[in-house]
Amino acid sequence: MNWEDQIRMLATRAQAETPPRVDVAPEVLRVLASGQADPLTVGERLWIWLAAGASAVAIPAMAVAISVYNASAGPLREIMNSISWAI
Amino acid sequence: MNSVAWPTSRLTGLLHCARLGWAWALANVGSAESCDPHSATGDRADVEESRHGDPDAYRRLVERHQDHVARILWRFSRDRAVHEELVQDVFVEAYLSLHTYREQAPFSHWLARIATRVGYRFWKDRAKQKEAEPFSLAEWDQIAEDGDAIQSLEANQAAELLHRLLDQLPPRDRLVLMLRYLEGCNVEETARRTGWTKTMVKVQALRARDKLKKLVERSGMELT
Repeated sequence: MNWEDQIRMLATRAQAETPPRVDVAPEVLRVLASGQADPLTVGERLWIWLAAGASAVAIPAMAVAISVYNASAGPLREIMNSISWAI
Repeated sequence: MNSVAWPTSRLTGLLHCARLGWAWALANVGSAESCDPHSATGDRADVEESRHGDPDAYRRLVERHQDHVARILWRFSRDRAVHEELVQDVFVEAYLSLHTYREQAPFSHWLARIATRVGYRFWKDRAKQKEAEPFSLAEWDQIAEDGDAIQSLEANQAAELLHRLLDQLPPRDRLVLMLRYLEGCNVEETARRTGWTKTMVKVQALRARDKLKKLVERSGMELT
């Protein structure tokens, strides 16, 4: 018998196990009634959407700004150097 | 129970769907699962009444399905206190996602998927915190040497040994092997339960099987 057959046999034995009985209904209803499990409030949702929207705009804007800066920094510096006598 | 004011008005909305997005995806999957033989009769009316804020209807659903959910989660944690907490979490999460349940699949299947997600999340959280514990495979060695030894094991001993063996693997590997060996799920059923694609299940199962093979072949050594 190979290792996998042994694992399968072990699993078959394990399947016969009876899990401990639980009665969670009172606690579940208590948690739901107390509002502890409430999803986010409207205000919280608004802030999350706002933050997500701001990030969605800011990240591409920053990427564009960096590429523009990289593209234009060299020529700008050359212009500055060429007219440095006037400053 | 009817005197309790339920926060039903706060249980809807787009963000809520996003927060519990997996439940949404899982709710739309529809055929029967052979690894879960639970009957779905009588659930539809209770689900409908629960959606309208009837706590008694939801209590009936919890009472009807808690043994099934407890059985699933006993494979994720064998600590009684943790186990009970996980079962509670499943029913709280199920209530909060009830509006996403489409009734195309039996309620028990839908719950099984939530239970799998809750259990897997528990494993992942624990894996982040867990210090590597020394683990001896001496017991496995005894069994591996004597083929009849498995048959002589009590069911809970076999479950405990398998639990400790699989506990040595990362949560993803463990999940796929647990569903395969203990729940008897095939690829399609595992995909439904986990929310993974079938290809992903196959790849994951292959990797997990290799890791388990290496693990049991290293038996006799102290593993950390």
